[in-house]
Amino acid sequence: MMSFFSHIKELTIFYILIVLFTIFSIFVPNFFSFDNIVSILRQVSAFTVIAFGEFFVIVSGGFDLSIGSTIGFVGIVVASLIKIVGLNFWFAMFMALMVCLLIGLFNGTLVVWGTIPPFIATLATMVIVRGINFLISNGIPISGFPESFGYLGRGYIGLIPVPVVMMAITSFVCYLFMEHTETGRCIYAVGGNEEATRLSGVNVAKIKVLVYVLSSFFAGVGAIMIASRIMAGQPTVGDNMLFDVVTAVVLGGTALSGGKGNILGVISGAIILGMVANAMVLLRIGTYWQWIIKGIILAIVVLIDSKTKERG
Amino acid sequence: MLLAIPNRLEINKCSISFPGVKALDNVNFHLKSGECHALVGENGAGKSTLCKIIYGVYHHYTGEIRLEGQKVFIRDPHHAQKLGISAVHQELQLIPEMNGYENIFLGRYKKRTSLISWPMIRKQAEEILNFLGCYIDLGIPVKKLRTAEKQIVQLARALSLNARIIILDELTSVLQEKDIKNVFRIINLLKDQNISIIYISHRLDEVFQVCDRYTVLCDGRVMQTGFVNQVSKEELIRLMIGRDLKTIFPPLNDPMQEVSIEVRNLSSKAFSNVTFVARKGEVVGIAGLIGAGKTEFVNALFGSYRCSGLISIKGREVKIRSPYRAVRLGLGLVPDERRILGLVATASVKKNITLPSLREFRRGIFIDRRAEEGAVKKLVNLLKIDCYSPEQIVQSMSGGNQQKVVFAKWLLSKADVLLLDEPTRGIDVGAKAEIYKIINQLSKEGKTVILVSPELEELIGLCHRVYVMFEGKIIAEVDKDNKQPEILIKHILGESRNESQNQTFKYI
Repeated sequence: MMSFFSHIKELTIFYILIVLFTIFSIFVPNFFSFDNIVSILRQVSAFTVIAFGEFFVIVSGGFDLSIGSTIGFVGIVVASLIKIVGLNFWFAMFMALMVCLLIGLFNGTLVVWGTIPPFIATLATMVIVRGINFLISNGIPISGFPESFGYLGRGYIGLIPVPVVMMAITSFVCYLFMEHTETGRCIYAVGGNEEATRLSGVNVAKIKVLVYVLSSFFAGVGAIMIASRIMAGQPTVGDNMLFDVVTAVVLGGTALSGGKGNILGVISGAIILGMVANAMVLLRIGTYWQWIIKGIILAIVVLIDSKTKERG
Repeated sequence: MLLAIPNRLEINKCSISFPGVKALDNVNFHLKSGECHALVGENGAGKSTLCKIIYGVYHHYTGEIRLEGQKVFIRDPHHAQKLGISAVHQELQLIPEMNGYENIFLGRYKKRTSLISWPMIRKQAEEILNFLGCYIDLGIPVKKLRTAEKQIVQLARALSLNARIIILDELTSVLQEKDIKNVFRIINLLKDQNISIIYISHRLDEVFQVCDRYTVLCDGRVMQTGFVNQVSKEELIRLMIGRDLKTIFPPLNDPMQEVSIEVRNLSSKAFSNVTFVARKGEVVGIAGLIGAGKTEFVNALFGSYRCSGLISIKGREVKIRSPYRAVRLGLGLVPDERRILGLVATASVKKNITLPSLREFRRGIFIDRRAEEGAVKKLVNLLKIDCYSPEQIVQSMSGGNQQKVVFAKWLLSKADVLLLDEPTRGIDVGAKAEIYKIINQLSKEGKTVILVSPELEELIGLCHRVYVMFEGKIIAEVDKDNKQPEILIKHILGESRNESQNQTFKYI
């Protein structure tokens, strides 16, 4: 019975996605249309990419609180490099991603060599990054990107928005990385049992630093997609994102204690959140109610997670 | 005279089994009021299992427990404490950051109205310490106290609970001479208060010094109970070994001449000046009590315990600073805590087995899954790992099968030197025999096996040579011709050191 339950659990979220989709399609007016579905996917695209980064960290048994402020910071970095320094936007993006790698490296160093608990280490980083962000931006959005920059967030390839294509490519790459490479396998192992993994001759420190670097990097990629869509560097754009990201990752069946989860789950979790938000807008449910409902969803999911672990 | 005293605690016809192992078999154990009763036996003989039943940790036993003549069922340690049973372990159960007062009265703070009354607590704690004749600063966090003092704090906690039965589990194994004397003094004080003591120790001398009666356990059975003054040390040792070597071990292979690993003057916190050599195809045993430094030694070889000294592998001097390095030098470790250290419990058989050797299966940047699966299947068949598929999660497997998975890891990584730390702990007889076969096969293939084991039988049946560690030093090297249980156990218990030094070094 238990094995049945845990087996189902791995795929549950995918089934829930399909069931919810069907229900919404029948009962929510205007939900089931090509345009609406594409718009949901476009809305969750940047967010899903960011969630992959957090997914790596959580699977390895860690946690990254700093992605929210990294997202806001990257937008500001790109915007100021283009507007103030006058760089070509490709080069500006490249620089911003380099900054992300540094932030991730800083997190990883604190956690591995500083042996600081991930929550505290990334909390410190979160505050520092936010501080730098506001030093540069004064909290004011920087707008006025060149039109061509908007392609990443607003463009289309055929009928499909560019961000959706980017999400699909990233998903596929992350799937290959986690399931088919040595490093991916080691990330799962570290989260499952760090000490046993170390005693199997795996360089655990390297893996742990890597996941934080990846987390910041994906946050950076997502941030650029967002900046391109809103055509501005908005310093506070990531502030409430951490919550949604963690919800999606956990919703997707990732164990907060590490070692378990899969990319398909994260995608499903992200799309469910997007669908619910979309349906609530179509049903004209107010923003405050949306928060309450999202919170309840997270509580239920974490409850399921802890209950199944107790029995397992 | 003592016979006329009523039994405070009676355990009658008690048996208990764990998956595959019968840990206690029809055990009768009677504890009288105000006596100090020694419980002796080898590691794994069932001493701690018996104590855990008395302390309410295990419930699935058969037989009965009578306390002061009343049949009781002890639900949990908390209930045991209420019934007047307390335990003081070698591993301390104190909260390091809290001070002595807080630890003694943890969970039972004296309250006046709803606030904790510290003056009352202090007064009572000091009364207990006065009674024990010990003067310890209870106002500082207990982590700052010496080990011996921490034990006194635990004892004070037991007394504050009005304990009538106190289990002292290997208290003295970590103490110095003068602290041991103090423990003896306190035991006599407790006996005067008519408190009964169950005394577990590996040091037989202590048993003769402080205990009234003894019970010898061997393989979960009571071998003998009697008065300490009517038995000799030799007799006790014989009873502890207690059996013929009944498991059939495969015949030993001839080791090669070539040295595979050599250690010179290896020292660390837990051991000092260890010099050690092992050849290809040789199975070298390491014997010793808990805390003798065996586990630390193998971990030091594997780069997961800080040490200094020379290690050379195949004649080349190496520095092993991490398990990562050790694995690349051809070492493999089967750790003592399988679930905690040996396996990623939430991962599959396959993912566990290939974890140290993923590099071998890399084609470009990806893992060649077909090759990986093929290799795993081969090992599953070879070691007869009982799983429905290589994708089975190891968590749900039996101890013996889990251990085979750990072995499979290192067979696949082609490790030349295998460090086995209690590889048969907690697994059933059938699986044990299969592990023995694997060890034998490894030696036949010219691999070096370093075997740490608490079981004499294994050391004698499997090893070409046995090093004996005592208090962090190698005190004897026993070769094939001297591999007798009596000789080994004397060294293990450190008894050989008390005899003439010449005799000890005969085996070195």
